[in-house]
Amino acid sequence: MTDLTPGLLMIIAAGAVPYLPHHFRQFFMLGAIVLSASSLTAGAGVHWSVPVFGHELILHHADHLTLPFGIIFHIAAVLNVIYGWHERKAMEHTAGLAYAGAAIAAVHAGDLVTLFIWWEATAVTSVFLILASATERANKAAMRYLLVQVASGVMLLAGAALYWRETGSWAFAAMELGSLGTGLIFLAFGIKAAFPLLNGWLQDAYPEATVIGTVMLSSFTTKLAIYAFARGFAGTEYLIWIGAAMTAFPVFFAVIENDLRRVLAYSLNNQLGFMIVAIGIGTELAINGAVAHAFAHIIYKALLFMSIGSVMYRVGTAKATELGGLYKSMPLTMIFCIIGAMSISAFPMFSGFTAKAVIMKAVGYEDLIYVYLILLAASAGVLHHSGIKIPYFTFFSHDSGLRPKEAPINMLIAMGIASVLCIGIGVMPTQFYQILPYALDYQPYDASHIVGQFQLVIFAMLAFTFLMRFGFYPPEIRSTVLNTDWLYRKLAPWLVLPVIKSGLAMAKSAETALVSSAQSIMRMTKDMSNHPISGPVIPGPAAVVQVILLAMILAVVYAALG
Amino acid sequence: MTNLDPKLKKMGNYASIALVVIGLSLIVMEFFVHRHGEIALEDLPIFPVVYGFVASVFIVVVGIGLRVLLMRGEDYYD
Repeated sequence: MTDLTPGLLMIIAAGAVPYLPHHFRQFFMLGAIVLSASSLTAGAGVHWSVPVFGHELILHHADHLTLPFGIIFHIAAVLNVIYGWHERKAMEHTAGLAYAGAAIAAVHAGDLVTLFIWWEATAVTSVFLILASATERANKAAMRYLLVQVASGVMLLAGAALYWRETGSWAFAAMELGSLGTGLIFLAFGIKAAFPLLNGWLQDAYPEATVIGTVMLSSFTTKLAIYAFARGFAGTEYLIWIGAAMTAFPVFFAVIENDLRRVLAYSLNNQLGFMIVAIGIGTELAINGAVAHAFAHIIYKALLFMSIGSVMYRVGTAKATELGGLYKSMPLTMIFCIIGAMSISAFPMFSGFTAKAVIMKAVGYEDLIYVYLILLAASAGVLHHSGIKIPYFTFFSHDSGLRPKEAPINMLIAMGIASVLCIGIGVMPTQFYQILPYALDYQPYDASHIVGQFQLVIFAMLAFTFLMRFGFYPPEIRSTVLNTDWLYRKLAPWLVLPVIKSGLAMAKSAETALVSSAQSIMRMTKDMSNHPISGPVIPGPAAVVQVILLAMILAVVYAALG
Repeated sequence: MTNLDPKLKKMGNYASIALVVIGLSLIVMEFFVHRHGEIALEDLPIFPVVYGFVASVFIVVVGIGLRVLLMRGEDYYD
């Protein structure tokens, strides 16, 4: 039983979900997740492989790196079921369970072909979470999302095929950049990890999904890419700089974005940057940092998306311009939101602190001073857009006049569990570090570190207060902030459409010329047959055609004889 | 900051004062705790204080600049 790939049971169970009555269905899904999680106890090694065309497809491979991802993905799946308990329609539940299962199965893939199958499965299942919004805007975003995700999958498959030709192996293990095969695989992972310039899909699609859908999406796809990088490309130096850029540039966009779920999508992107930097360093300490951060991040990011989702569920919008003053009507949601905000901002005693500290230590240890300073500034930036902006514009700021009910009980329970986990990871680092891939003897709580971290976050908060009080802080404006999806939503059509249009116009004019010349030949023939210029009367068009043909043959023969 | 209800405004004032007090006490703590960072630069006196504040202001200023460049109407893509 434990040999079965973790996640597979969830995918199979998803097939039954649409046919089950509402409450029973939720229990059924929880049961499927718990059963699936029991496979995590199988221990390290290959537990299930299937021979296909002379190759082994390794369907269940487990080791010290798959385990923490396996655990956190199952926890996220449970939280999603509880958070979405109120929803009676089956679409999101079916898609969500299969999506989580596919991501978990992907983590346990031992070869690149198996990885590709689950990689694509995460794309085709998760797109329904966006389609479930059932608006034209969401439909379009879903199609763009699917195109990008499938493109990533195709690159992975092409890369895997080339890699097999180069090395004779499908095995999903550490790879070196430098060949077309590994380059394509790297790019496929990079799209899913939302690298700079390849990130447009994330901020485009996630905020268009349903309330529950966005929470589900935030957990799996990008963290699967993080896992894939940690397994395939740990220690690849490019990743350090790509990651540093990733931590920095979404911060600026997040500050001016009005849609709070989009703000969170930018901040998700920035958090991935920290993990990518650590994977680029690739030491045991750094990989521990990347995994710890991924683990903590999935929980506090879901918590933040859940809290804004609850607000959206109650008032129908997540735009900062429309929100404000909800602290009185949704106090519990506010508390949970602030716990998520303090976690992502790395306040001591919260999960972000114990996780990020490991990455910062690894960066400092390698003496990467500029990278360290970028990450430190990005940490202040996270505090701004996720730590302050999200709770401030939702629950405080100006009074929107909205007086909704508190979030439904199931949402509160899910947020409550996530909050307990955030604080638990924050106050019990030693226990938390035990699930990491490598042994870690590190204590983040010493007086020096605590004072330093408090100085950073408190003075970043003071900067916000100062800018707000003196009216320098950019006001929220109903707007669209252009992101890299602009490249394929506007620029590419501008460049390509004129080419297509002029091509069509040329074809059209060629067609008209052809038709009109054919018509004029016909007219000439008729004229000649009806009104001969001289000689005897020609008996009809057929004769004229014959004369023309004869003349042509004569001309050709003369030319040939030359 | 318009449309602030008086209670919220009062809360905001208290929060700001509290932040300033906490901030000042964190600076004072430098004299009692031997603070050291992961890189040498971090060991400079009150480095996180200055860096946290300056980085935040920088991010907001760049954000305001980006608005000029990248902000469009809400129905830009429709």
